[in-house]
Amino acid sequence: MLTAKNIVKNYAVDGKVVPVLKGVSLSIAEGEFVSVVGRSGSGKTTLLHVLATLIQPDGGELHFGDHDLRRLPEKKLNILRQADFSVIFQFHHLLPYLTVLENSLLSCMHRMKPVPKEAVERAYHCLGRVGLADKADRLPGNLSGGEQQRVAIARALVKSSKVIFADEPTGSLDKATGEQIMELLAGLHQDGMSLVMVTHEPEYAKLSERTVVIEDGMTKR
Amino acid sequence: MNILTIPARNIRRKPAKTLLLLLVFTLGVMSIVTLYQVSLVVGHNFEKKLTAFGANIVISPVRETLNIGYGGFQMGEMLVDFTYLPEEETVAAIRAIGLKDRISAVAPKLVTMARVGAEAVAVVGVRWPEERGIKSYWAAVGRFPEHEGEVLVGSKVSARMGLAEGSKTTLLGREFTVSGTLYETGSDDDTVILMDLTALQQLMDKPGATSFIEVAALCAGCPIEDIVAQLRGQLPGTEVKALQHIVNQRMASVHFIRNLALAVSLVILVTAGAMVGLSMLSAVNERKKDIGILRSLGFGKGQVFAIFCLEAGFIGMLAGLIGYLAGFAASFKVLELLALGEGITPSFSFVQLLAVSLFFGLVTVAAALYPSWKGAGIEPSAALVAL
Repeated sequence: MLTAKNIVKNYAVDGKVVPVLKGVSLSIAEGEFVSVVGRSGSGKTTLLHVLATLIQPDGGELHFGDHDLRRLPEKKLNILRQADFSVIFQFHHLLPYLTVLENSLLSCMHRMKPVPKEAVERAYHCLGRVGLADKADRLPGNLSGGEQQRVAIARALVKSSKVIFADEPTGSLDKATGEQIMELLAGLHQDGMSLVMVTHEPEYAKLSERTVVIEDGMTKR
Repeated sequence: MNILTIPARNIRRKPAKTLLLLLVFTLGVMSIVTLYQVSLVVGHNFEKKLTAFGANIVISPVRETLNIGYGGFQMGEMLVDFTYLPEEETVAAIRAIGLKDRISAVAPKLVTMARVGAEAVAVVGVRWPEERGIKSYWAAVGRFPEHEGEVLVGSKVSARMGLAEGSKTTLLGREFTVSGTLYETGSDDDTVILMDLTALQQLMDKPGATSFIEVAALCAGCPIEDIVAQLRGQLPGTEVKALQHIVNQRMASVHFIRNLALAVSLVILVTAGAMVGLSMLSAVNERKKDIGILRSLGFGKGQVFAIFCLEAGFIGMLAGLIGYLAGFAASFKVLELLALGEGITPSFSFVQLLAVSLFFGLVTVAAALYPSWKGAGIEPSAALVAL
């Protein structure tokens, strides 16, 4: 479903070109749970951003179904991000001035047209699933780190995304909360969503069906 | 919930910053509205005062003239038929035009020739209150006529005929007393004898007749051409002439006040706009994270651009609304403090209120265009790397 071939990505640091991804190839099947592991600075997050179309690679091929993501116009990429892809970040990244409910519905709020009733009902349902139905009107600042991460998961659930990209989703949480989050993510996978998760934790990586190791900008296995 | 929810909630996020920005912009709008209202009233007042220095429209009957010469003897231009304007109907018609509120004074006149002894002199019948209303610069040795049988004598006539305050003179077969003589005006008034219009109409046996009518019109709200056109429509068979040099002189004075207010307003507007622009620029830098989140959720560049513009526009519209009301109220106080109103007050208009609100909304959007465009141009990756 999502295929990356020979992905190359460089960054310019102080006028020098620093290669981060040096020809990474990866394929994710529909409904597959893949974890990406590697040392800090190995290029895991950059790879995740390339796969989620948040960053354009400098070389290689990237396909999602029939779409060539490197040649897809901006508008179609936006539609893809709205409907098919969801990103869960390490630090949750919720808009602090929107309520839990509004944050979970953010991807539906890109028009002047009000969010449909069905979407709001679905958001309440998804918040219930992550255990936050009673906190729908709260602002993220009044929630714990684990709760904020659950809002981010609810946001992905509301969209019914095909692929969820999780960038160290338990990285800023304690062990117990991290386990709860992993349970939720595993639940999403069981629902049939594809899951690509960058993690430092080998025990969470074991929950996935396949582990890809990134080392010095290349896939090791 | 829709895209408007995002800027609306963000405005509430930093109330102190939002309020400060709103306050600065509201003060700007308030100053502009106050200046505008005060300049309108002062300009109107100024123009009204200027009408005391003469009329700017003259209405007379259409006259046909013929240049007559025969056998080498030239008689010059002669009137074919001498007609008069009926005073009551003509004045009523002038006061009934669509722009009647722009008519400040109507001064009818009847002119004839008479002899004082062997000397010929022009006699002009006037309505004293109207005449003195448009000629406040008149000053007399003695006093202005107050009773029946009194006349006012122009300075040159007084010198030529030896008529002074208290003199008796016979005009058109009736004796009159000179109540006063005019100081030199430099105008035609120096060469005539002025008397009450009704008295002259009776002497000439032409009740209700006038030779021409002078009109003082206020031109600040509309061009003089519009007033002349309406008078022509209302008074067929008459000649209506605008004294353009007088109109232009007056409008130059009134426009100076308006232009001064406009220049100051422009400076305030640019300063307030620059503040909004700077504030939005810093907001874009502060909110890179928000931009990254929105872009990762599929918000397009146009939508991010719209969110920043809507935020600025909302502040501008609110400032416009509050600023207009505050400026309107302040203009009363300013006019009162400077004693400039003199019976004329600023007029409130809902249309103006909406227009001001919309205009300042657009000004803030314009000021926020560059920061918004800059924000919209940030790629999601760049925003997220900056986190």
